[in-house]
Amino acid sequence: MAKPKIKPEIGTEKVVSVSPHWNVVVLNDPVNYQDYVVIVLTNVLGISHTQAKKYMLIVHNEGRAIVWTGKLERAEMIVLELQQWHLSARLEKNG
Amino acid sequence: MAELRLTMTAEARNVLTDLLRLIAPAAARVSVNRAQIPDGDKEVASFWTESLSAQAGEEARLLAAAFANAKGEPAVIILKNEAQSLAFLRALSAVRFALRELVFSDIPDDQLERAEDLDDDNLPNEKRHALACYSCFGLLQQSLISQIDSEAFD
Repeated sequence: MAKPKIKPEIGTEKVVSVSPHWNVVVLNDPVNYQDYVVIVLTNVLGISHTQAKKYMLIVHNEGRAIVWTGKLERAEMIVLELQQWHLSARLEKNG
Repeated sequence: MAELRLTMTAEARNVLTDLLRLIAPAAARVSVNRAQIPDGDKEVASFWTESLSAQAGEEARLLAAAFANAKGEPAVIILKNEAQSLAFLRALSAVRFALRELVFSDIPDDQLERAEDLDDDNLPNEKRHALACYSCFGLLQQSLISQIDSEAFD
């Protein structure tokens, strides 16, 4: 059997599909009380009072805090829920 | 959680009720305008807007019913469970935002954060009145928060 003159180049290419992650960002506002923000974060994100207080203080001192990161659909629902509680929240693409 | 009570004078109840009648119809618009709604997907944006508007409508009805039922002296708003209390807390936040956007959007954020300390002698009567109501709604909110979550004032 004749050997092929052209040696086929066989290779593999690894393609990894990564969905971009999205940040849920809470912004400081002059209307809501700090304790109210803690209650909202506890209820919406299902986090502890201590963690919620930590996020609230970041928002208060730095003007904003990333409170959740993940897939778009879930991030959208969280932002909507936070806005329904009248927090200033928005979506930001992570990376 | 046991039922929670918010107590105020009958006069305060009447003043706040009158203000709520004026401000409630605009609260939905304020809520939607404030929200940063993602505009990449029209269907999502539409759902988002409808959700916020529906929520604002519910809040307006909740506040109107609660204040209407708070009769006598003192006037007492009774919230029967945690869900009602949280909904009422949220509705109070909505009305404070509506006042902020519609009546005193010219007051800088840092001054509004200390609304109680604002020197309001030079403000027009309507604005001073709205500011007093804004503070009253805030006091109701703080009273509710302290009852809902005893850790809140640690």
